[in-house]
Amino acid sequence: MQIVIHIDDPNPPFVQLIEQIRQAVSSGQLGPGEPLPSIRQLASDLELNNKTVAKAYRLLERDSVIQSRGYRGTFVHPDGRANSAVDLNAWVTEQLLGMVATFRKAGVTDPEINNVFRTVMNEQSD
Amino acid sequence: MAWSNNLFYVAFLSQIYLMSYYFPNKVLARMRHVLATYPPTAYPKLYPKPIERHKMTHLAFKYVSRFILLLGFLILYATIFWVDHSTFADDGYISGFWPALYGMIQFLPLIVVELSEFSHLKQMRNAHTASKRIAELQRRGLTDLVSPALLGTAALAFAGAILFDLYVHDFDVGWGHDTVQRALVMAGTNGLLALVSAWHLYGRKQDPHQSPEDRAHKVAVNLKVGLYVSIVLSVFIAVTAADDIYSLDFIDATLVSVYFQAVSLLSLGYVLRSIKPEDIEFDVYKSDTAVT
Repeated sequence: MQIVIHIDDPNPPFVQLIEQIRQAVSSGQLGPGEPLPSIRQLASDLELNNKTVAKAYRLLERDSVIQSRGYRGTFVHPDGRANSAVDLNAWVTEQLLGMVATFRKAGVTDPEINNVFRTVMNEQSD
Repeated sequence: MAWSNNLFYVAFLSQIYLMSYYFPNKVLARMRHVLATYPPTAYPKLYPKPIERHKMTHLAFKYVSRFILLLGFLILYATIFWVDHSTFADDGYISGFWPALYGMIQFLPLIVVELSEFSHLKQMRNAHTASKRIAELQRRGLTDLVSPALLGTAALAFAGAILFDLYVHDFDVGWGHDTVQRALVMAGTNGLLALVSAWHLYGRKQDPHQSPEDRAHKVAVNLKVGLYVSIVLSVFIAVTAADDIYSLDFIDATLVSVYFQAVSLLSLGYVLRSIKPEDIEFDVYKSDTAVT
């Protein structure tokens, strides 16, 4: 199976990578335990920075779609197919929509929500 | 003495034919075939530099190969007619130096063509502006591309050659002994082959247009060539070690000639046989407007 990355796509390359690997696992094109290319190989083939591919792999590993087995490399997680259906982005969007609706109902303005959200995110990242 | 020298003449004639006539002609025919079948008008991405420069390279390769062919006949002539001269022979046995020197010269035009390929690919990369990148989601590990049996054979041949060399010298060798030098040559050559293999496996994609399948196939062929060359070197080293106790001086030159021919057959011969233009996806070199 092939990965196709469009550099001028609005989605950054690591997001395109995640989406395509997730899609390949959920459709069964990549079965449980199947090996994935190394970060260096994929980065070299796609002419991307190693960090870009590493970031995509790290996020897929966090979602248990793939798993790293040390020096043996990276493989599709045994429960990867089921886990690939879990869309964390959609879940976060849903949660935020609910919260924003609650804040608006309480009379908080959008710039205030924006401001507080940014402050909280900055504090969390520190 | 006469029969061993006659054996060398046959081997050397074969070396001249194989490495300075047969293979250069094959390479030249391949280059011309690609140029005729996949012309710049239809496959512009394949030719980042003016076509005249490609034709010049073909011509230069042809004439240098012909010159080396002539040189081979001159060396053959010299070894036949000055067999008693110390420059060409020791005690009437032709020296292994000549087929070795000639073998290295024979590889030169092929090495130059290979090096010019790097500059060609660099120009291809510089001209490549497309934003679409494709990769195969398949691991390209060493054992995914070459059989563990071949890897094991190369490792065994390497260890076997060193052990055999030590054995025939009763494990009594000091620093500076031929056995140590041979082991160092083997370790150095194998180290270099390992580095080249790692570069093929994990290095930067040289041809920006090459399809993932073609790349994987080319990498596999290059890895196998490295292992074949390593095995041939181990065998040659073992035979050279045997030379020390069985006094094989009289066929030294023949062995060197056979060694160079074996290396060329298992490297260039194998590459030409395994990577054929008809199996390569040339559509990737068409212009973007032609593809879409």
